Amino acid sequence: MAEISGSTLNKPKRSLLPFPISLKTREIIAAYLFLTPFLIFFAIFFVRATLSSFEISFYDWRLLRPNRPFVGFDNYIDLFNDPIWWDSVKNTIYFTVLTVFGTTSVGLLAAIAVTRPIRGQGFFRILFYIPQLMSVGAMGLIWNWLLSTQFGVINYLLSFIGIRPINWLGDPNLVIPALSLSTIWWTFGFPMLIFVAGLQGIPEHLYEAARIDGANPRQLFFNITLPLLRPTILFVTVTGVISHFQVFGQPYIITGGGGPGRASWTVIIYLYQQAWVAFRMGYGAAVAISIALIMAVLTGIQFLVISRRVEY
Amino acid sequence: MSKRTSFFALSLVALMLMSMIVLSSVSIFAQDATPVPTATPIVADIGSGGTHISFWNGLTGSDGVTLNEMLAQFAAENPDISVTVEMIAWATLYQKLQTAFVAGTQPDVFLLHASEVPQYASYGVLRDLGDQYTSGGGWLPDDDLSSTTMSGMMWDGVIYGIPLDNHGRGLWINTAMFDAAGISTDPSTVPTTYEGWVDLFQRLTLDVNGNNAQSPDFDPENVVQWGFTVGEWPNVNFMAALAQNGGSFLSEDGTTITVNSEAGIAALQQLVDLVYTYHVSPPAAGFDTWQGFGAGMVAILPTGTWYRNQSLLQTDIPSMAWPNFQFGAQPATWFGAHTFMIPATTEGAQLDAVQRMIQWVSENQVTWASSGQVPARLSAQAALDPEVYPSNILLGGTFSAYGIQDPQTTVTQELLTLLDVGLQEALNGIKPADQALNDAAVLMQEALDRQ
Repeated sequence: MAEISGSTLNKPKRSLLPFPISLKTREIIAAYLFLTPFLIFFAIFFVRATLSSFEISFYDWRLLRPNRPFVGFDNYIDLFNDPIWWDSVKNTIYFTVLTVFGTTSVGLLAAIAVTRPIRGQGFFRILFYIPQLMSVGAMGLIWNWLLSTQFGVINYLLSFIGIRPINWLGDPNLVIPALSLSTIWWTFGFPMLIFVAGLQGIPEHLYEAARIDGANPRQLFFNITLPLLRPTILFVTVTGVISHFQVFGQPYIITGGGGPGRASWTVIIYLYQQAWVAFRMGYGAAVAISIALIMAVLTGIQFLVISRRVEY
Repeated sequence: MSKRTSFFALSLVALMLMSMIVLSSVSIFAQDATPVPTATPIVADIGSGGTHISFWNGLTGSDGVTLNEMLAQFAAENPDISVTVEMIAWATLYQKLQTAFVAGTQPDVFLLHASEVPQYASYGVLRDLGDQYTSGGGWLPDDDLSSTTMSGMMWDGVIYGIPLDNHGRGLWINTAMFDAAGISTDPSTVPTTYEGWVDLFQRLTLDVNGNNAQSPDFDPENVVQWGFTVGEWPNVNFMAALAQNGGSFLSEDGTTITVNSEAGIAALQQLVDLVYTYHVSPPAAGFDTWQGFGAGMVAILPTGTWYRNQSLLQTDIPSMAWPNFQFGAQPATWFGAHTFMIPATTEGAQLDAVQRMIQWVSENQVTWASSGQVPARLSAQAALDPEVYPSNILLGGTFSAYGIQDPQTTVTQELLTLLDVGLQEALNGIKPADQALNDAAVLMQEALDRQ
C-alpha cells in the first residue's frame, strides 16, 4: 500500500477551474450537481406535464381526433356550470372531513395507547400499521364484502343486536360514511406513527412538573400533550387533506364506480369519467387544474388556521 | 388506565382488526366453494413462428381461455406464425388502445365490441375490411351473417369489422325453485306480458316464513329468495324493456336521444316497480346477482350467454337458460358482437398473418361456442349440437329473431355510462324514474351533440 506523506496531505487541492473560487461557491455548485438528476426528472415529468395540462385545458382535445380547436376558457366555464362537478366537490369535501377527522383522532388515540409501556408494544404498533400496507384493490375487496347486504360480516354482527341488514353501499346517505369508515381503518396507521414520534418528542419533565402541581390525566392531555402536538397535527391534517381529497380507489372499487347513481362520485372520479370514459382530455385537464387550485386553497387555509397557534 | 387494562384494551382492538380480515376472507372463500376455472394468463405467447403478431382483447374470463386454446390450434396448423395475446379488462382496453394509437404502439389486431366500430372508424385508424367479404372478393360470405350483425360492422358504408360472435341477454333459472313452486321450466311457456312476468316473479319470491310475494302474510323486509334481480347491467335490461314498449334509444336520424320518451319512462318504471312495488327484486346496489344466484337466493337471473360455463361450475344449482323477459307488446333482447378490427398501420407479413388468423378463427366458430357465446356465422349456429349447446342455440335464436344492439354513434360508451347512472338512480330509489331518465337524457344529448 502506498504511503501518504505529510507533505501530500498539506498540499492545497488544485482547482480544475482556471479562476479562483470560494469554498462556499464550490459547496453550492456541488449541491446543485447532486440535485441535477432529480431536477431534470422533475422538470420533464412534473413541470412540463403540468404546463402541458394547463395548455391542453384551453382546447377541445380528444385523444385520437386530429382536429383540436382552441376554445379559450370554455372548458372552465362549462365545468363551473356543471352541477355534477359541484356535487362531486361536495362529496369529496364531506369524505375528506370525515376521514381526516377520523384518521387523526384514531391515529392519536392509537399512538397514545402504543406509547404506554405495556407488554407487546411493538407488536401492536406493527399490527395497527399493517392495513396501511394493503393495496387499495385488496382493501376495497375486503370492505366490499364486509359491507355486503347479502354476506357482509358487519350486517351479520349487527343482526345479533336486532338490527336488520343495512344497505351501506346502496343508500346515498350512508355510502360516504361507509367509505370513510373503510378508509379510516385502512390509513390510520400512518398518522399513528407520526403521532408516536410527536409524543416521544414531548419532554417528560413537563408532565412531572404538572403532576407535582396536581394535574390529572385529562389536564395533562389538554394542557401539555395536545398543545405540544400542534405541529404534528398540522402535518397530519395537511397531508391527510391532500391525500384524501384525491380519493378514487375506494369509491371506484367498493361501490363499483361511485354509486349508487353519483352518490359517491368524487372529483377524481369526475375527472376519470371525463378524461378516460368520454376521452375529453381538454375538459379533463381543466378539471385537474381546478382540483389542484382547490387543494392549494384548502392547504393554505389549514396553514393559516392551525399554524397560528403552533408551538414549535 | 392501568397497564393491564391498556394491554387488554389493545388486545381487543387488535383482535377486532384481525377478525375483520379473517372473517371477510372466510366469507369470500365460503362463497367460492364451487370449482373455479383455470386462471386466464394475462399475456400468452402462442406458437413460435417467425412472423409475429400482437393481439389485444378483453376476454379476461373463461372465454379468454377458450380463444387461447383455439389460437394454439391455429399456431400448430400455421407454424410460421406466432401470436402474443394480451387480455385486458374491457374498460382498461378502451383506454389503453387510445393511448397506444397516440404513441404508435397499437397491436396488429384487436377485438372490441361492434358498438366501438364507429368511434375508431371516425378517427381513421381502422383498416377497411370489405375485401375480406365475398362481396369484396374475400373469403367471408356476407349472407352467413344476420343483417343486424352485419350492420354493426359498418360505419359510413365501409366495413371495418369481422364478427366473432353474438353475445347477449337471456335468463338463467333455478329449476329446483321452479319445481318447488310448481312452475313449468319449459321455455315455450314463458309469459308474454308484464303482468304475467310479475305473477311469475311473485310466486318465486319467498320470505323467511316461506310465504310467497302473493301471500297477504308476505314480509318484504325479510326476503330469503328473490324471484328476479334488476342489478346486473341495468343498461341492457332497460334497452330491452324500452324496445318491448315500442321505444328507441335514438331518433331515426340519430341526432336526438329518445330514452326518456313515454315508452322509456314506462319501461324504467316497470323495472323500478319490481323492486319497490312488487318486492320481487332487491335494489340494484349492494346485491351481487351472480353470488346471489350461486348461493340459492335468486330464482331468475337476467344475465347473458357468457353465464353458460359459470352455471356448469355451480354443480349444486340446477339451472337452465330461458329467453329474455318481455314487459311490452313485442319481444326484444339486447345483444352485441365481439369484433375483430385491424389498425390501418398493420401491413406486410403481419397483415397477412392477422388475416389468416381471423379467417381460421371465423371458420372454427363452432369451437368458440364452448365459451358460452353464440357464433356469429349462421352456418356455425346451425352446426351446434343441441345436447351440448342448448343455451347458445336458444338465446342465439332470440338474437336473430328480435335482437337489438347498442346505438351506432361515435360516443356510445359515454352515452351508455351516462344512461347507467340515471338507471342506477331510479333503481336505488334516489330519483323517480321520469326525473332520472330526463336528467340522463340531457347529459346524453350534450354528449351526442359534441361528437
